[in-house]
Amino acid sequence: MTALATPPALTGRRTAAPHLLRWLVRLHRPALLVWAGFVLVLGALLIWVGGPLTDAAVEGWKHYHACAAGGCVYDPSAVGRYKDWYTYTTIAVLAVPFLIAAWSGATLTSRELENGTAQLAWTQSVSPARWLAAKLALPAVLVTVGSGLLVGLHHWAWSAGQGRLDSAKDWYDIGTYAANGPATAAMALAGLVSGAFWGLFKRNSLASLVGSLFSTAFLWSVMAIATPHLWPTVTKLSSLKNTVPSGSGIVVDQGLVTSTGAHIANPHCGSTDWAQCQTLYAKLDAVSYYNDYHPQSHYWPLQLTATAIILAVTAALAVATFRLLERQTGTVNSRKAAAI
Amino acid sequence: MVEYRIDRHSGVATYVQIVQQTKQALRLGMLEPGDKLPTAREVVEATAINPNTVLKAYRELEREGLVEARRGLGTFVRRGLSTTPADSPLRSELDAWAERALASGLDRDDIAALFTAVLEKHFQGEPS
Amino acid sequence: MTGTAAIEAAALGKRFGRRGGWALRDCAFRLPAGRVCAVVGPNGAGKSTLLALAAGLLAPTEGAISVLGTVPGAARERVAYVAQDKPLYPQLTVAETLRMGADLNTDRWDASVAQRVVADGDLNPKSRIRTLSGGQCTRVALALALAKRPELLLLDEPMADLDPLARHEMMGLLMAQAAEFGTTIVMSSHVVAELEDSCDHLLLIGGGRVRLAGEIDELLAAHVRVSAPAQTALEPHPVVESRTTGRQLSALLRPSTPLDTDWHTSKPSLEELVLSYLRNPEASAIETPETAA
Repeated sequence: MTALATPPALTGRRTAAPHLLRWLVRLHRPALLVWAGFVLVLGALLIWVGGPLTDAAVEGWKHYHACAAGGCVYDPSAVGRYKDWYTYTTIAVLAVPFLIAAWSGATLTSRELENGTAQLAWTQSVSPARWLAAKLALPAVLVTVGSGLLVGLHHWAWSAGQGRLDSAKDWYDIGTYAANGPATAAMALAGLVSGAFWGLFKRNSLASLVGSLFSTAFLWSVMAIATPHLWPTVTKLSSLKNTVPSGSGIVVDQGLVTSTGAHIANPHCGSTDWAQCQTLYAKLDAVSYYNDYHPQSHYWPLQLTATAIILAVTAALAVATFRLLERQTGTVNSRKAAAI
Repeated sequence: MVEYRIDRHSGVATYVQIVQQTKQALRLGMLEPGDKLPTAREVVEATAINPNTVLKAYRELEREGLVEARRGLGTFVRRGLSTTPADSPLRSELDAWAERALASGLDRDDIAALFTAVLEKHFQGEPS
Repeated sequence: MTGTAAIEAAALGKRFGRRGGWALRDCAFRLPAGRVCAVVGPNGAGKSTLLALAAGLLAPTEGAISVLGTVPGAARERVAYVAQDKPLYPQLTVAETLRMGADLNTDRWDASVAQRVVADGDLNPKSRIRTLSGGQCTRVALALALAKRPELLLLDEPMADLDPLARHEMMGLLMAQAAEFGTTIVMSSHVVAELEDSCDHLLLIGGGRVRLAGEIDELLAAHVRVSAPAQTALEPHPVVESRTTGRQLSALLRPSTPLDTDWHTSKPSLEELVLSYLRNPEASAIETPETAA
């Protein structure tokens, strides 16, 4: 028996690449709009915090200082409003990696596998690997641009208050430190990839959402704990006449130095101006305070090292995601079949 | 043009039904030499039967010399079977006979049985 | 063995999970190109697994499967597949779904085919997929599959959601595709009668194994239904099924030599053949010579 008509003369090699971008944009249009709206609103808020709100708070502090001497009335609301909105926007920027992880876990791959629409895409002329690459690449670009813009604006809004506002956060305040730097943008990418991984692994929206959030939170915590140890600290010795060791920044370790040079714990007594403390220090054979810490000059080395580590973890996770997909859809075992 | 109607429960093989219906159309003059049979595509789209079944029927008709396949053009009727056109004397005689049978009180099945029995007598040993 | 195989499987097996049961085991068959093949078997027999393996959606646990002369993953552009539950993106409209087909099958897409299939069903291109009935979704899924101009079309229970009229129309559409382009069509169903007139090739799956494979005509010709007095010895003919009712023995045989002329014989229908094999799992599997892998 022969074919009834000539088979389609379309066996030529591929000439045009699939229009994956157009398809992806249509598919994820709602998420795209929400993300764009989120970035715009939060970006506008950060500009407002760094501009008008900071200026108003600076004015407020001026009034306060003027009145502190004369006993006049001043309005603390501008200072309070700055503080509130600075905190809200910092929290919002910090939440970005988790929002991305939740979205990615709940929808990016899990829902498609659950509904069978991933299989629908794979049986068009698009291989699973290409599908996953496209599904990761477009959001990755948008997440990088969006979250990069937000941490940049946060950094700017924070620096607008430096040296002008007594109540401005220090660079080493944990929320400020995180929201100011590229590590948070990298963390958003990690959230994106972990969502894709869990989606393939669990093939269920809810389980994948939970897994994605937990793994992002886990990475975030590990990095928060590890960050101070990512760069050599500076050790500063200071006189026991001070109530506390001097040197401000991210403190890794501090205590007392004995005459032999040994480091011992700080009994938190205070200055040697107090006789009691002087006796205590003499008994401990302490000669000075020591402080192992990161000064502000370590800000970029710490941020960039953390960013590099998070990106490396993200890349490893992406490789694992592709491997998992290959194993599930059989592109690995394909050589065996070719032998028939 | 001929339109095939496939009866799934007749017990007659599908390709045989197509052969029979084509011959019927030839006999009744609905198909004449030079006419084109519907393409396999047209038949299967209307009947949802396997295309090879249609081709098998057409090959059978070709083997009997009733149709010929012209490459790329389709399948065409070569000769008719219109030995008994609707207005032939034989047909009017049969018509009159059926009227008499009816008048004598026979019903449809009785008449059909009678007719089949006579056919059997005259065409012994030939396939129906 | 002539022509290329649309699907060829050797010792193919698929198990879900490390400790899960085998969905499919020891499958070996060859489906020549240009056939319309019915994959028949009870629910859970492994039909869907087999189709998903051929579509390159699952990796075999053991053995191998090749499609259009290559691995399933490499034949993606030439194979179309419609899953049992007809997955589509619910948030897209009909027109957007077809646009997706055009975007993801850049080289092979025939928009006029898609348009015609959808228009024949009186579907509004602006309707969202989530508002469509099961039958309408099937039509859209088939439009996606046909407009790709596949050489091999894999359909998992394609007619399940359709009313009799739509079923007839869809089957006509598929047969027209086969007639016009020589497309190999493989469709599964647990209702044999549904496929009897449309298919020329059979793959009977039972308990995760291939029970019968071959041209339907040849398979039917190879079997005989026999009525004989009880206690008749049926040897040496292989017996698929035999039953004794009172003094009457009825059996389905695969005669190896000419049969005893005293027996009353008849040709089995496809449905009888399939049911006999399914009722008797111990009857040995057969393949017609042409399809032996």
